[in-house]
Amino acid sequence: MALLSVITGRLSQAFLLIFVMSLVGFIGIHSVGNPVYNVVNIETATPEEIRRATILLGLDQPVWRQYLVFVQNVATGTFGTSYIYHQPAFGLVLDKLSATFELALFAMLVATVLGLGLGVLAGTRPGSPLDRVIVTSSVYALSVPSFWLSMMLILVGAVMTGWFPPGGRGLTANLLGFDWSFLTSDGLRHLVLPVLALAIPNIALIARLARAGTVEVERMEFTRFCVAKGLSRRRILFHHTLPNISLPIVTIVGLQFGGMLAFAVVVESIFAWPGVGKLLIDSIQLLDRPVVMATLTFTAIAFVALNTLVDLVYVVLDPRVRIST
Amino acid sequence: MKISTFKPTGFKMPDRASYRQFLTMPNIVLACYVAVALAAPLIAHQNPYDPLQVYGWEASLPPGTEGSGGFNYLLGTDGLGRDIASSIMYGLRISLLVSIVSALAAAVIGLTAGVSAAYFGRWVDALIMRVVDLQLSLPTMLVALIAIVTLGPGIDRIILALIIVQWATYARVARSVALSEAGKSYIDAVRTMPLPRIRIIFRHLLPNSIAPAMTLLPIEIGHAVALEATLSFLGLGVPLDQPSLGSTVANGFQYLMTGQYWISLFPGFALFGLIATINFVGEDMRRIWDPRSRSI
Repeated sequence: MALLSVITGRLSQAFLLIFVMSLVGFIGIHSVGNPVYNVVNIETATPEEIRRATILLGLDQPVWRQYLVFVQNVATGTFGTSYIYHQPAFGLVLDKLSATFELALFAMLVATVLGLGLGVLAGTRPGSPLDRVIVTSSVYALSVPSFWLSMMLILVGAVMTGWFPPGGRGLTANLLGFDWSFLTSDGLRHLVLPVLALAIPNIALIARLARAGTVEVERMEFTRFCVAKGLSRRRILFHHTLPNISLPIVTIVGLQFGGMLAFAVVVESIFAWPGVGKLLIDSIQLLDRPVVMATLTFTAIAFVALNTLVDLVYVVLDPRVRIST
Repeated sequence: MKISTFKPTGFKMPDRASYRQFLTMPNIVLACYVAVALAAPLIAHQNPYDPLQVYGWEASLPPGTEGSGGFNYLLGTDGLGRDIASSIMYGLRISLLVSIVSALAAAVIGLTAGVSAAYFGRWVDALIMRVVDLQLSLPTMLVALIAIVTLGPGIDRIILALIIVQWATYARVARSVALSEAGKSYIDAVRTMPLPRIRIIFRHLLPNSIAPAMTLLPIEIGHAVALEATLSFLGLGVPLDQPSLGSTVANGFQYLMTGQYWISLFPGFALFGLIATINFVGEDMRRIWDPRSRSI
């Protein structure tokens, strides 16, 4: 029952969110520039050609009718045809999806493992030199702008040492109809730098949360009781401390993962990683409206879906949520 | 001696705050940053955006080269022959201006919206908070992208976009504090007096709900610096003739592969240092004003 009410509540909220998002995004992208000039050759086009291209793209219609056409296209699952690539916009997004997805997944894996490890390490020794080093460096890691971090990773990891390639996806292998880089050793080498660029700020974020949680839990009666009972440190950590600090960490992992599908924009453009974010930036600059809308809608859906998933994980992880809803 | 001076109770220095506790390392570094930004026209060797002062043929010189302007390019020059050190100082001005103005404006708007939502309740509350929820449930970067694409390029536009991105956080915090304040008896007391609502909100409710939101301010300024730099880096932020730190770093990106590291390294360090300093200052401020949130 609890699961069902969480899902229905979330879904109705999600639909509203996606609807408003699409409306705002639509009006936004339609208030800038005229995409016709990116479709026709601006130097040689006659006014007649421009007029015909405008009609062909449906840009002569009033905005509300264009929105209706857009909704119709969403319903049929194509999101309209790209002005530039002349392919269904949603297909374009799907093509890029696997690249963004594997990047975000690996970054989050690295961030969760390292962040939890460092956080627990610091949290079990509050006030120690190690704790102070971890807390202070986490502030630095959270402050570094992601585009500069990416550039410095290229400088050190690619230009100066030549250990890793500076950009691109490398060789990919096909699995389940999508191309994946992590299946080939060349692709893995290409993954290292962008994954690091995305993971480093998240390691800091998760480490801070884990540290705060651990400090709090270690102070509680039940931990002292566990110690008094003679349980090993390892058992206390894995069976009592970690489950109790897991909720905020699951939240932040979900949020950050969703954010990465959008925020990877920066890292993707620097590492020339052909993902959804790079597609979005390129399409914005080319005024390719259907692709922009498809990407925005997709990102919003992915974000909402992840938030819902996090809520569901709550229900599984925390018995109190199960009872109260 | 005046006995009954009314003072808002919410926002004040802690009683035992000797001013020495503000002489911390992050505060001093931040003050230096601000001083350099303010004094840039006086201490910079050249105005990098005045073509008459730039020697175009001295492009991409490594750090320490003597230039024909009679000064040393301490941090080298960029691809157009502009002195990197001067570019940093001038870029700092734009970055600080944009982030401070937008964070302050967002704070004022967010606080007013949040406190109004708490005071009026009902449909005002529902309306404002739905918008806030909606916005906070999306990634900041996405909201910023949509806003800046809609508004177009320019310094005033990017400030506006940052305000749109940031106001919701203040609104949510201010509302939750104001809700508990609004239930207290001093608000009941002023409500019985023939005062206009505006006065009750701005003179009584707002000052008492301001403290937690103020601790947000430095953190949000740090966010604003980073966000502005990112948007400028993507070519969506400040215009080319008024580069901020972010767009200065972006200019150096294409030279990175050929080993001309100094064009992006030094402005990036300045930017990174600025954001880190603001974050450290923010953490100190929060520790002083809001002792409860010490743990994270």
